[in-house]
Amino acid sequence: MTATAVRIARPNGWWGMALFVATEATLFGTLVGTWIYLRFENAHWPPPPLPNPPVLTPTLLTLALLTTSIFMQLAWRAAREWRRSRAWTLIAVAFAIQVFYLSWQLHDFVLAVHAFPPRASAFSSVYVTMLGIDHAHVLVGLLLSAWLLVRIATKITRYRLVALQAITFYWHAVNVITAVVLIVTVLPSV
Amino acid sequence: MTLKRLELLQWYALFGGALAWASQHVAGYFVSTAACGSVGWHTETPQIALAVAAALAILAAEGAAIVVFRETSGLPTEAPPPYGRLRFFAQAAMLGNVLFLVITLLNGFGTVYHLPCAQS
Amino acid sequence: MAVAAPEQRLARLERIWLERPGILGWLTTVDHKRIGLLYFWTTLVFFAAGGTEAMLMRTQLAQADEHVVGPETYDQLLTMHGVTMIFFFIIPMTTGAFGNYLVPLMIGARDMAFPRMNALSFWVFLGAGLFMYSSFLFHQAPDAGWFDYVPLGLKQYDGGLNIDFYALGLIFNSVASTLGAINLVVTIFKLRAPGMSWNRMPLFCFAMLAASLSLIFALPALTADLIFLELQRKLGFHFFDPAHGGSALLWQDLFWIFGHPEVYIIVLPAFGIATSIIPTFARHKMVAFPLVAMAELLVAFIGFGVWAHHMFATGIASTTLVFFAGASMIVVIPSTIQIYAWLMTVNIGTPSFKAPLLFIGGFILFFVVGGLSGIMFAAVPVDQATTDTYFVVAHFHFIIFGAAVFPLLGGIYYWFPKVTGRMYDERLAVISFILTFIGTAVTFFPMHIVGLLGMTRRVYTYDKGLGWDTYNLVETIGGFVIAAGLLLILFNIFWSYRRGEPAGRDPFHGGTLEWTTTSPPPTYNFPVVPTVSSAYPNWDEPDRQEDLRKLERGELVLDAGHETVVSSVNDARFDEVVEMPPESPWPILLAGALTIAFAFLLTSHWFVAGAFLVLTTLMLAGWHSQEPEEA
Repeated sequence: MTATAVRIARPNGWWGMALFVATEATLFGTLVGTWIYLRFENAHWPPPPLPNPPVLTPTLLTLALLTTSIFMQLAWRAAREWRRSRAWTLIAVAFAIQVFYLSWQLHDFVLAVHAFPPRASAFSSVYVTMLGIDHAHVLVGLLLSAWLLVRIATKITRYRLVALQAITFYWHAVNVITAVVLIVTVLPSV
Repeated sequence: MTLKRLELLQWYALFGGALAWASQHVAGYFVSTAACGSVGWHTETPQIALAVAAALAILAAEGAAIVVFRETSGLPTEAPPPYGRLRFFAQAAMLGNVLFLVITLLNGFGTVYHLPCAQS
Repeated sequence: MAVAAPEQRLARLERIWLERPGILGWLTTVDHKRIGLLYFWTTLVFFAAGGTEAMLMRTQLAQADEHVVGPETYDQLLTMHGVTMIFFFIIPMTTGAFGNYLVPLMIGARDMAFPRMNALSFWVFLGAGLFMYSSFLFHQAPDAGWFDYVPLGLKQYDGGLNIDFYALGLIFNSVASTLGAINLVVTIFKLRAPGMSWNRMPLFCFAMLAASLSLIFALPALTADLIFLELQRKLGFHFFDPAHGGSALLWQDLFWIFGHPEVYIIVLPAFGIATSIIPTFARHKMVAFPLVAMAELLVAFIGFGVWAHHMFATGIASTTLVFFAGASMIVVIPSTIQIYAWLMTVNIGTPSFKAPLLFIGGFILFFVVGGLSGIMFAAVPVDQATTDTYFVVAHFHFIIFGAAVFPLLGGIYYWFPKVTGRMYDERLAVISFILTFIGTAVTFFPMHIVGLLGMTRRVYTYDKGLGWDTYNLVETIGGFVIAAGLLLILFNIFWSYRRGEPAGRDPFHGGTLEWTTTSPPPTYNFPVVPTVSSAYPNWDEPDRQEDLRKLERGELVLDAGHETVVSSVNDARFDEVVEMPPESPWPILLAGALTIAFAFLLTSHWFVAGAFLVLTTLMLAGWHSQEPEEA
């Protein structure tokens, strides 16, 4: 019998995370809305002489990030069956991919700030801001995952299980949001 | 009717119409902004399509609410769950969907009626 | 094994739920009732500050060409009056004070879902309020109006720290509001007593649910707007200037996507208080209960679709305006349904017109007046003629003061016996009602007329001979009458706290669960998790008898630890017993670190601000290092 067979509803911690995700998703909704709104105000998007945003590297990186949802979900399944070391390993794999993703993206972000200086135009401002806030959310996710790795290294308890369930949901949300940001930002180039 | 089917109908009744109106409202707003901004899209057909699609979804939600309401007839407001709760939300949804339908029709009619991009 | 006697169980509960005595206890409390009281008194101080700002403005406007305050000071007063009343008084009072104190009691829970986060919400709110008000010390209080339109709010037109205080202060405060809203939603979803399915939940909780969900979805638009503003002001980004591809209207759109739901967030808890007071004093269940519950949620939801009715005079295309004119007309209907339900309930019940019901009567009248002027604005031509005049000021003061504050005042009287165990003085209460009612009418009604005569809002003075003088003088006198009424309420509270008659458990025979427990409630709220089979549990005598039998049997007393019951979301089926955290220093420490971080963001000391944000993160780790004990 798994730990959660006793519960009939999702735990409070999951609901708290779901509502927090709702606020963050809404924040990204307004960022994407701002992008679209300003796009309609400009004849050319991006305005000349700015180049089109890069497509290939961000797409490949985002695809890599999306795989971490699978690992986190599998980790959650394993933890529910009290398979601690399997769960830990899966979180660690996801963590490694996420660190790789963010490191590369941060390096490219510095280049983006030079290629699309925010002080030049509204396009650059919203492009850099949207990417920056997305990367900040991935960073928060890394901190949450790091916490999980520390706690689950020793023991899984019902409390830590709820934490894993909630943080897995957070990663699903961040991954979806990142995919949406990617689609929105590469559209001018395709 | 099975409880599972009633549940599905009740949740669609409660949220389907609301989401349909919200989508039409937000999408229609952006379409109208696109028409009158620098991009200058042609917008009458998309606006009618959005309004019709939303209206149909809302009518379906209202229908679902009526079905659940009838299937739970005779129950008082504070009847035990789940049937008491199903009836409660069906009543609530019957009100909500009427309002969503009216706004959708007002939206759709208004976008077609007005001169496009006339400054207010 | 002998079952412990009820007295032993209650003694055990007392010991388990006891918090530290003295000031330290208040600083580390996680008890929702104490946090509610902290919110109550703090928001009253902000109410006094906002009221003082108002009276200074009214004194300046009492006569033409006055020199009580100069234009720059006036701009700061009018901005801070709006910001204070909305962000630091009404929202924290309704959600933080009333919501925190009453929701767990009404649903039969022992605390909120996240007690430490509850405390954090309060301390962050206090930090944000102090941060915002510290701007006065530098004579650089926000001064571009409570909605701070660009380009006025941009650095080239407002170069000091005024707008930075505004932007950072509101971002900071929105952290508190968001956390509080999340807490209320999860509490309402998961902590209801078994048996309290959605169709048996008090209408006050529906109102709180609607307001909290609205906060969660509305605040991000404001946060985004403020982030854009600060990036533009501090780092030279471009969001709002057309010369670089931005749009000044972007500010307004994002602001009002937040701002309109905000006004429903303001008024919904007031609806909730009205729907609590009316059944009690009409001695009849609320007519059309499902429709009233849905109306509260509908007002909140449709309210997200009307934002551009604040922008009818900005020159946007008529095809865009249509969406908002239509929705603005329809959003009135759920409110009207509630008004009819309230009036019908009083009509078919046997009303007892005690002070709380008098305040609700005043509320309904003012809400109708304010609502009528509101629906006039849904008609675009009327709005374009009256926008930015005192006609608008009249409308929103009838709504915010008449329709949001009046129920609060009624609610203070209604729940005073529950919170303190003493009855308020009824005669003083009625006099305070008469004063505030007359004061409100005299202050705000003439604003309709003077607005139609052409007086624009936000003017710091006006010329003689425009025909505005008498109206303004009358409004100022009315303001002092309101102040007298409010001071009398305050006096009544203090006097009755010391000298009032003992109230007992249930002086008004209310229907909801808070009236089943002692006055004031014990720290653990209820001796047993209450039995619920209707929306008015205190009127179900068999269920209350069952509670006594449960206590005898030791069933659902939960005296093994610091515990409460968690149930399923829709039908409130019993799910599990969870352990709640005890008092903790982390919330106040974290709020302190965050306040310092925002102070350094204000002064553009990015690395130091970053260091304090890192400290905040480390404190979060410390907070979560304490976990519930598991077998």
